[in-house]
Amino acid sequence: MTLPRAAPRFLQPVTALRIAIIVTVLASWEALAASGLLYRDVVPSLVAIGKALFSLLTVPDMPLQIDLLGINTAITIPAIYWHLYVTFYEIALGMVIGCLGGLVAGIALGSSRLLRRAYEPMLYYLGPCPKIIFFPVMIMWFGVGPGSKVAMGAISCFFPVALNVAGGMREIDQVLIRVGQSFRANTWQMVTKIYLPAMRHPIINGVRIGLGVCLIGTLLAETKLSNSGVGFLVMQAYNLFNMPLMYALLIVLFVIAIGANALIGRLGGLDDIKRR
Amino acid sequence: MAAATVLSAASRPAAAPDGILVVDNITKRFETPEGVVTAVDGVSLSVAPGEFVGVIGPSGCGKSTLFNIIGGLLDGYDGTVKVAGDLVRGPHPAIGMIFQEESTFPWRTVLDNVAFPLEIAGVAKRERYERARHFVSLVGLDGFERRYPAELSGGMRQRVSMARTLAAQPKILLMDEPFAALDEQTRLLLGDKVLQIQQELKQTTLIITHNITEAVQLSDRILVMTYRPGKLKRMIKIDLPRPRSSEIVSSEAFGRYVAQIWSDLREEASRGLRADEAAKLQHGGQP
Amino acid sequence: MSAQAITKARWFPGVLGFGSFIAAVLLIELLIRVGLINRFIVPLPSDIVLAFPRVVIEEHVLSRFVLTAAEAFSASILVTVFGVAGGVLLYQFRLLREATETWVAALAAAPLVLIYPLYMVIFGRNATTIVAMGFTAGVAPVTLKTLEGLAGTRRVLINVGRSFNLTPSQQFWKILFPAALPTIFVGMRLGLIFALINIVGVEFLINCGGLGQLINELAERYDLAGTYAAISFVILISICVFFLTERLERWLRPVE
Repeated sequence: MTLPRAAPRFLQPVTALRIAIIVTVLASWEALAASGLLYRDVVPSLVAIGKALFSLLTVPDMPLQIDLLGINTAITIPAIYWHLYVTFYEIALGMVIGCLGGLVAGIALGSSRLLRRAYEPMLYYLGPCPKIIFFPVMIMWFGVGPGSKVAMGAISCFFPVALNVAGGMREIDQVLIRVGQSFRANTWQMVTKIYLPAMRHPIINGVRIGLGVCLIGTLLAETKLSNSGVGFLVMQAYNLFNMPLMYALLIVLFVIAIGANALIGRLGGLDDIKRR
Repeated sequence: MAAATVLSAASRPAAAPDGILVVDNITKRFETPEGVVTAVDGVSLSVAPGEFVGVIGPSGCGKSTLFNIIGGLLDGYDGTVKVAGDLVRGPHPAIGMIFQEESTFPWRTVLDNVAFPLEIAGVAKRERYERARHFVSLVGLDGFERRYPAELSGGMRQRVSMARTLAAQPKILLMDEPFAALDEQTRLLLGDKVLQIQQELKQTTLIITHNITEAVQLSDRILVMTYRPGKLKRMIKIDLPRPRSSEIVSSEAFGRYVAQIWSDLREEASRGLRADEAAKLQHGGQP
Repeated sequence: MSAQAITKARWFPGVLGFGSFIAAVLLIELLIRVGLINRFIVPLPSDIVLAFPRVVIEEHVLSRFVLTAAEAFSASILVTVFGVAGGVLLYQFRLLREATETWVAALAAAPLVLIYPLYMVIFGRNATTIVAMGFTAGVAPVTLKTLEGLAGTRRVLINVGRSFNLTPSQQFWKILFPAALPTIFVGMRLGLIFALINIVGVEFLINCGGLGQLINELAERYDLAGTYAAISFVILISICVFFLTERLERWLRPVE
C-alpha cells in the first residue's frame, strides 16, 4: 500500500513497523521486569535503567585535580567521563600504532611479490585468531596499566589494516605507477602521492574494521584486568551486582561503538564523486 | 609520390648523430615459458629537433617494448638510447611519456593532475599552478581546472594526461597509442589538437601506433616495423603540407600514403598470423 | 641453480616465510641466553617447546579441546538454525526486511562480546554463558548471508520454477534454497569463526571451559613457558580450523 505523499513520515510502513518493534520490545521488557519471573534485577525496569543512565552521565562523583596552564583547582565530574577518556586514549593510541604498523607492513607486502607470498599467508591465517589470548603476554611486557590495553588494541587492529593495504596495493592500476616512474618520483613521493591516494578505499575499509576489533580488544582487556576505563566500570557494576548501572554502561558503549563505525563509513563515502 | 627508403637487414645505417633522440641498434629479448623471444631486433632511428616521427607496425611487433625502452622503464637490452647526447638509463627528464591506458589520477582535480610533474620536481606552489593553468588551456580544457577526471569524457581525460606530460616541458614527447581507447571521431579531433600543440611548441615527438590514418595525419616521417622480431622495414617521408588539419584525411596524397603503408602492414600482419598459428600447433593448441 | 633462479622457484616464498620465523625464534633464544631479553618476561623458546608435552598431558589438553569444540559445535547449531531461519524470515517478509536489515547489519558490526558480563549474571559462570556468547556473535552474519543468498537468486531460475507451476513451498525448497546454499555456507563459516573467536575469548575472560581457560590458568600460575605453549597451541588450532573450513567451503561450493 502506498500512502499519498502528504502523509506524515511516521505513517510510512517501514517507519511504522520499526516503531512498533521498538515499542513491543520495550513493553515486553518492562512486563518481564515487573513480573518478577527472573531472578531479581537481571531484568531491571526501564525506569531504573533510565535513572542509572541519567545519574551515570550527570552526577559528579569523582574528584579531579586540575593542574593545567596555571589553573589549579579541584573539581568533581561524573566518573564516566574520566573513564571514557582513559578508554578513548587507549583506543586512539592503539589505533595509531596498529594502523601505522599495518600500513607499513601492507605496503611492504604489496610492493614485493616475494615478500607477499612469503608472509601474507601468515597474516591471513593469524587474522581470525582471538587476540585476547595474548593478553597475559601483554601484561608481562607492558604492565598492568594502560600500556597492556594499548598493546591489545594495537595488535588487534594491525591485522585487518595490513591485509587490506596489501590487497589494495595489488589492485592499484599499474599505469598510475608507471606515470610516477616516468616522472622520476622518488620512493617517498611514490608512496605519498600515488600509492596512498590510490588505496584510499581499502585503507579506510581496513581502518574501519581495525577500529571495530581495536575497540573489542581494548575493552575486553579492561574487563579482565584494569582499574580504569569503561570496561573496568562494567566489571565493577557486575561485581557489585548493580544491574541498572551495567545496562546503562552497555548502552553508552554500544552507542559510541556503532556511532564511530557509522562515522568512518560516512568518511569513506564522501569520496564518491572522485570515484571512477 | 613520396620518397621511401627500404631498410634491409643487410644495411643497418647508423642513426644520424645529430638527431636529438638517437636510438642505436636496440635488441631486446624476453624469456618466456616457450623459450627466448626476441621482441625488438636491431632497431635504430633518429629524431631531429621539432620533428614528428611515427612508428607503425602490426600488433605484437614490439612497439610497446620499444616505447618502454626509450622511456627508460625497461632495461636489459642491447644497444643505446641517447637524448641530446646523454645516455638513457632510466626515465630521463628530457623524455615525457604518454601512455595508452587511462592514466589520470582519479583523486586529483584536472589542475592538480597537470601540476603533478612540477610538484615532483619541487616547483613552488604559485608558479606550479600558473604553469599548469597554461597547459590546461593549451589542450583546450579551460574552465575544467577544478573538475575531477570522473566527470570528464575519455577524450578529455587523455587531454589531461597530455597536458600533464607537456607541463614537464620534455625535449621529446613519447606517445604509445595515446588514442587507442577513443572512438574514431574523437581521435581525429584530438589528432588536430596534437598537431596544433606540436606546431605551437615545436615539440619533438615520437608516436607509436597501429592506426595508419593517425600516423599519416600527424607525422613528418613514418617508420614501419616488421612483425616480431621487430625490425625497421621501411622509412617513409610524409610530404603533406603543414600546418595540417583533419581535413587532410580526404586528400589524394593522403590516400596514397595510407595505401602504401597498408600493403606493408598487411604483409607483416599475415606473416604474424601464420607464425601465431604455427606456434599454436607446435604447442598442442595451448598458447 | 643460480641465486636468481632460486628466488623465483615456487617453493622459495614458503621456505623464506617459514625459515625467517625459525630464524627469529633462534635469535630470541640467543638474546635471552645472553641476557639482553629478560627471561622472566619472555621464556626461552626451548623451554616453551619442552613445555608442550607437559601441558598436553598434565593439563588434559585433549579433553579441554573437546570441551571447547563441543561449545563451538552447540553454538554453531544454534547459529545455523536461528541464523538461517532469520534470513528466510527476512526474505519472505519484505516489510520486515526493509525495517530491520540495517539493524542486523549494525549488530553484526557491533562489539557484542562486551555483553559477556551480562550473560554471566543471567546464566552464571559456566558453559551456558560461553555458548550464548558464541551464538550472539555468530547469528547476525549468518542471517545476513542467508538473506543475501536468497535475494541474489538469478531471475531466470525463479522463472523456470514459475513455468513449471510450482507452489510457493516447492519454489522455495527446490529452487531458492538450493541456489542460496553456497552463500549460506559462506555465512555459516563466518558465523562459526565469529563464534569460535568469542568462545575462546570468553573462556579466557571468565576462566571457565576448555582451551581459553587453560591459558588463563597457566598465566595466573606464572607458568610462563606453559602459558606461551598454550597460546601457541590455540593459535595452531585456530589456523587449522580456519584453513579446514576454507577448504570445506570451496569443496562444497559448486563451480560458478
